[in-house]
Amino acid sequence: MAAVIKADKLTKYYGKHRGIIDVDLEVIQGEAFGFLGPNGAGKTTMIRTLLDHIRPTSGHATIFDIDTTADPVAIHRRLGYLPGEFTLYDKLTGGQTLDYFANLRGGVDRSYQQKLIERLEVDPTRKFREYSKGNKQKIGLIIALQHRPELLLLDEPTSGLDPLIQQEFYAVIREAKEEGRTVFLSSHILSEVEKTCDRVAIIRGGQLARVDRTEALRDLAHHQVELVFSGPVPTAEFEALPGVSDVVADDHVLRMRVSGNITDVVRTAAKYELADFVSREPSLEETFLAEYGRTADGTPVAEVSAR
Amino acid sequence: MTAAALAGPVIQPSLRSRLWGLGSVYGKSIRDSRRAIIAAAVLLGLVFIGITGAIASQFNTPESRAEMVALINSVPPILAGLAGPVVNVGTMGGYLQYKYGTFFPIILSLWSVLALSGTLASEMHRGSMEFLASTGLSRRKIALEKLSGHLTGLAIAFVVTLISITIAGASFAALPGDEISVTQAFGYSIWMVLMALAAGAVAFALAPFVGRGAAAGIAGFITIAGFVLNGYQAAVPALAPLANLTWFGWTSAHLPLAGQFDWPSVVFLAIFVVVMLAIGLYAFGRRDIGVTTAVPTPRLPRALVGLRGPTSRAIGHNLGAAIAWGVGIGIFGLLLAGASGSFTDTLNNSPDFSNLLKTIFPNVDFSGVGGFLQLLFIEIGIVLIGLAAATLASGWASDETSGRLEFLLATPLSRIRWAGNTAIGVLVDMALVVVLTAFGIAIGGATAGGDLLTPLTGTFVLFAYGAALIGIGVAVGGLWATRLAAPVVALVVLLTWLLQILGPLFNLPDFVQQLALTNHYGQPMVGVWDWGGIALSLGIAVVGVVIGAWGFKRRDLKS
Repeated sequence: MAAVIKADKLTKYYGKHRGIIDVDLEVIQGEAFGFLGPNGAGKTTMIRTLLDHIRPTSGHATIFDIDTTADPVAIHRRLGYLPGEFTLYDKLTGGQTLDYFANLRGGVDRSYQQKLIERLEVDPTRKFREYSKGNKQKIGLIIALQHRPELLLLDEPTSGLDPLIQQEFYAVIREAKEEGRTVFLSSHILSEVEKTCDRVAIIRGGQLARVDRTEALRDLAHHQVELVFSGPVPTAEFEALPGVSDVVADDHVLRMRVSGNITDVVRTAAKYELADFVSREPSLEETFLAEYGRTADGTPVAEVSAR
Repeated sequence: MTAAALAGPVIQPSLRSRLWGLGSVYGKSIRDSRRAIIAAAVLLGLVFIGITGAIASQFNTPESRAEMVALINSVPPILAGLAGPVVNVGTMGGYLQYKYGTFFPIILSLWSVLALSGTLASEMHRGSMEFLASTGLSRRKIALEKLSGHLTGLAIAFVVTLISITIAGASFAALPGDEISVTQAFGYSIWMVLMALAAGAVAFALAPFVGRGAAAGIAGFITIAGFVLNGYQAAVPALAPLANLTWFGWTSAHLPLAGQFDWPSVVFLAIFVVVMLAIGLYAFGRRDIGVTTAVPTPRLPRALVGLRGPTSRAIGHNLGAAIAWGVGIGIFGLLLAGASGSFTDTLNNSPDFSNLLKTIFPNVDFSGVGGFLQLLFIEIGIVLIGLAAATLASGWASDETSGRLEFLLATPLSRIRWAGNTAIGVLVDMALVVVLTAFGIAIGGATAGGDLLTPLTGTFVLFAYGAALIGIGVAVGGLWATRLAAPVVALVVLLTWLLQILGPLFNLPDFVQQLALTNHYGQPMVGVWDWGGIALSLGIAVVGVVIGAWGFKRRDLKS
């Protein structure tokens, strides 16, 4: 399959401040690609550079084999974009806003627009300024989707959406994929990327830390388990279990990191009298730190690997 | 262990940061308005000393002073309208009061209206008030600290004015009676600050109810209307009842620099200010945060909303502002054009004054609507059009400043097309402002009779100036950042106005005075055109838009 997005050593600095550094990336036609990273990692900078809203400091990128800085309009004609933070025309209704953006694209399929309005449950007769944050986000999503673009660039698309509408959004993304369209979405929510994307890139400190299939993300998923024993702590037994690491005993408390399936840990613990059993799935931020940020001084992973 | 026992030492904000910095709401208010405070203080200090010095050196003999008094006395009330009453104009203080006395309260009023309409409303609009009101400070305390910040700024303006007038009055006195006492300086300074604060206090009281824009608009309209009505009430008695509804009318007998005091009116003004500020404080404490009552405005028909493309959207987006400015300036034009009949009568009854005008403006017929508008409307009309252009430039910029441009430029809309088409849309709005102004002049002029076509054609000069300013705004916005467009336009308007007013007084070199675009328009309301200036203005508009589009194509979008 052809690459829809190609980035070659794409770098953006805002004066002295880092945006993204040497990002190499390929997004294949028809795939849903997740761009995952903590706040300030460079996700929005990457998307805005691809859109030619900001110009790269060095490197270059193509979308549909068109250089992003050479003919951005030709690219924009074929994509739909949802910014991470936005505001629209306060005095226009949601419906008028959708119509305006439809007009800028030379018109859209009104029945599809209406279908999206119904699916995302938005009232198009209210003025934009009267919408809640979630409803504003829905209007933004419909603007990005209503012309059935070949490529969707979505910056944290589910921000502010309630869980039911999030499910509807995931369904829309799946349908877009089934129709052969390409989706590039940024997120800091691990589960969201897992649900919607085929491949994922993890960005940290402006640099790509990893690009892989989504299944590989499960390697990152782990549990922090804390067992409080009534009697002595059987440290060695737990250390021997597959997927268990970082075992620390402290008086009657045993703490460990469990990668993958937690069943063996539960079975083993059940053999003992426990005062408490706590299992916690760490946040993505913690997962990142565990997987990519083991350098306590915060040195970027790429620099560590280069040493 | 309790949470309190676990907590580390708490570092209290320093007194310095509470007074100027991030240690308190008051400190931050002072910090945020430091540039305005410094600019106002420097401007007031320099201008009062400069103007007084210039008056003293220009009229430094009894003969020149007598000529000046005779000239002022020959000006009929209808022409003297926007200056002050003629009291002791033969003295330095009296002349200062007559010629510039009302000028500074108007300038300070604009500052006060903008500051006090926005100090709470803008925090609510951007959402930061939600945080601020959750910090343990009562709403009334927040409002009081913010208000105190602005009052401190005005207090500094008061002190600087008091000192500079006192110094100037003592240093430049050229003839007996020129000395300006500390009491006179105090009387003027306190009046000036209270006048400004009255306008700001009205905005402050209204903002919790109607929001920032409407509050500023209403307070600004009352201020300008009060100024104009008060100025012309002597010549047009029908205006007197309305004129005396505002603080300009209440304090019209208080002319401290001329040695005439009306302290009760100043006390009444102070009480009015306190009441208005108290209403604002009380309303902010009582009402829901961020909930305002929309000022009812008619809903635009769908065709005028502007959904077809960037040009129509720019027209539609700024249509409300354009109509508001057009109606406002149109009413001003209507009032003056309607009063032109009295002016014609004055000319007919005063051959000396008629001859004086013919000497200054040869080949110009002032005996009609156009002549009157050329003398009285065009100077202020140009400034108002400039402020309208700044408002429209701000509306043009809002696509980028609000973040909408992220969306818009992800459609097949090129940057050049966005910049060019939206600029054209804003120019159409500017044309609408001028058409509405001309409409007002036509109605007023029709009641006075005489030639209407010439002054109506003359209003084109307003479009030329407004278009040039928009061109400058678009160029600056395109090259650097659209958020700079409106402030730069407003600055150009202010500098042009100051150059036009103060240039002759300070005897600035001719080439400096010629920098004011408004000095190159001829007398268009009486049919005397300076086509070079008109062409230059339209050229600036076109080149500005081209430069803006080119610059915008090259730079990053500001997020």
